[in-house]
Amino acid sequence: MPYGSLREFLEKAEQEGRLLRIAEEVRLEPDVRTISCAAGRMTGGPVLLFEKVLGYPDKKIVMNVHGSWENHALTLDLPKNTPVREQFREIVKRWGRYPVPAKRVTSAPVKEVVLERDFSLFRELPLFRVNPMDGGFFLSKACAIARDPENPSNQNVGIYRIQVKDHDLLGIQLSAQHDLAAYLRSAERLDVPLRAAIAVSNDPIVPFVASSPLKFDDDEYAMMGAIRGAPVEVVSSEIGALDVPAGAEMIIEGEILRHHRAVEGPFAEYPGSYSSSMLQVEIRVDRITRRRDPILFENLYTGEPWGEIDYLQGLNTCATIYNQMKLDFPEIEAVNALYTHGYCTIIASRMRFGGFAKTLACRLLSTPHGITYPKLIIVVDANVDPFNLQQVIWALTTRFRPERDLALIPNAPASTLDPAHLIRGLGTKVIIDATTPVYPDIPMEDNISVDLPADTDFWIGEIQKRMQAKP
Amino acid sequence: MICPRCDDQRAAKIFDSPESGAWEIYRCPRCFFTWRSTEEDRVTRPELYDADFKLSEAKIREMIPKPPIVPPEGAASKPRY
Ligand SMILES: [Zn+2]
Repeated sequence: MPYGSLREFLEKAEQEGRLLRIAEEVRLEPDVRTISCAAGRMTGGPVLLFEKVLGYPDKKIVMNVHGSWENHALTLDLPKNTPVREQFREIVKRWGRYPVPAKRVTSAPVKEVVLERDFSLFRELPLFRVNPMDGGFFLSKACAIARDPENPSNQNVGIYRIQVKDHDLLGIQLSAQHDLAAYLRSAERLDVPLRAAIAVSNDPIVPFVASSPLKFDDDEYAMMGAIRGAPVEVVSSEIGALDVPAGAEMIIEGEILRHHRAVEGPFAEYPGSYSSSMLQVEIRVDRITRRRDPILFENLYTGEPWGEIDYLQGLNTCATIYNQMKLDFPEIEAVNALYTHGYCTIIASRMRFGGFAKTLACRLLSTPHGITYPKLIIVVDANVDPFNLQQVIWALTTRFRPERDLALIPNAPASTLDPAHLIRGLGTKVIIDATTPVYPDIPMEDNISVDLPADTDFWIGEIQKRMQAKP
Repeated sequence: MICPRCDDQRAAKIFDSPESGAWEIYRCPRCFFTWRSTEEDRVTRPELYDADFKLSEAKIREMIPKPPIVPPEGAASKPRY
């Protein structure tokens, strides 16, 4: 059964032994960040529920919802020990069911309390500084919803970093390639109002899809329906008729301020470094709707990998790239873009002919995500599981011939967040062909590879099953 | 109150913890820095704030608007970068 809310997911996580309640009183800084960093960094970290927050008797904090492969599997309603490659396959399969449009409802728990004036975001949420040099208190996992002013049927749900700058003022970082930035360009050009709603603490599928690199006019809600296997319920915002997730803990509504930018950030990002402070967009908040207290505030710790963000923006990115490349090259078996949001991307594929690995690497570099993010591209044979780094390193050490299989593309577009840049936004792409050379390439001199016993994969599954069945 | 990040003298308390006496939140009207009274010294004390992260009126003036502001249609000016 898919989850209707974060609360329903937490119940399931607790039943499955994947929820850790922190009962003792915690300080917003540095306790919440420290414990959340630890849970995301360890292998198999649980979901965290901070039950007693110093200063906020009526609020609780939820962290690390996606922060391990076990948690990630549960968010998809899969058995918690589902291997990564199988989670990838399942996501690709469900992706194919798009679209499953949202179901509109007229009442929802998120409307239990409606605040129209004299509210304070500092009172409503137990905000905390995620990392010490962040420029303020950020919502790092909330989902912003807005409509295209030029085509209002086009609605976007995305995760943007949001800084709480005053009782009723937010800063939001919009990069030029984001849908919301395109809406803002239209709103500024036409000089018309642009509304935004921010959904805090959701069914984990909501941020999973909101952080996926979908196409501009794709409907995120219809993708959530496809991934969860049932329509997601939405309710109308108080102002501006935006569809907002009915299961959310809180919806913050406001107007994006046109022709105006103000200091925002910095904020620690997924490469494990701070982005710089810039003049960014602001939102004036004029409505808050929420559940009755005690409210749950879900946020995301970001810092040095690995952590929750690497899981959250992991397999959704892999599936998006895979689907785009598979259209042109059906030989592709799987894509692993998990490392630093795809800075290292591993492609597993059958080889059509010699040199084909370089063709695949170039196709990756022309996908929307691949234009900037990948700097290290490794291509392996189809029999190598790209999610298994032991196998990937085996391919690198026994298939890769540096004098023929290494290619560099200097001065290519790169992620602006890469701290190793010489010129921000430019970098060198490294392509490594770690596949077995095929005709007309020079074959390997010693073709003496050992075959895996035929039923090895079957027995891996069988041994796991028998081990789990043991009392 | 002095802003630990940009040294603006107009920073002020904007919020008291709902559970009274636990902490206060302060805010700078120039650089929008907010901080809690109970945070570590390198966050709350101007003289200990990391120089690489310090801001000033001049630094703010040099910042680039992101995304660029688009003027209303018909307005004479070009996009400001
Ligand atoms: Zn300041």
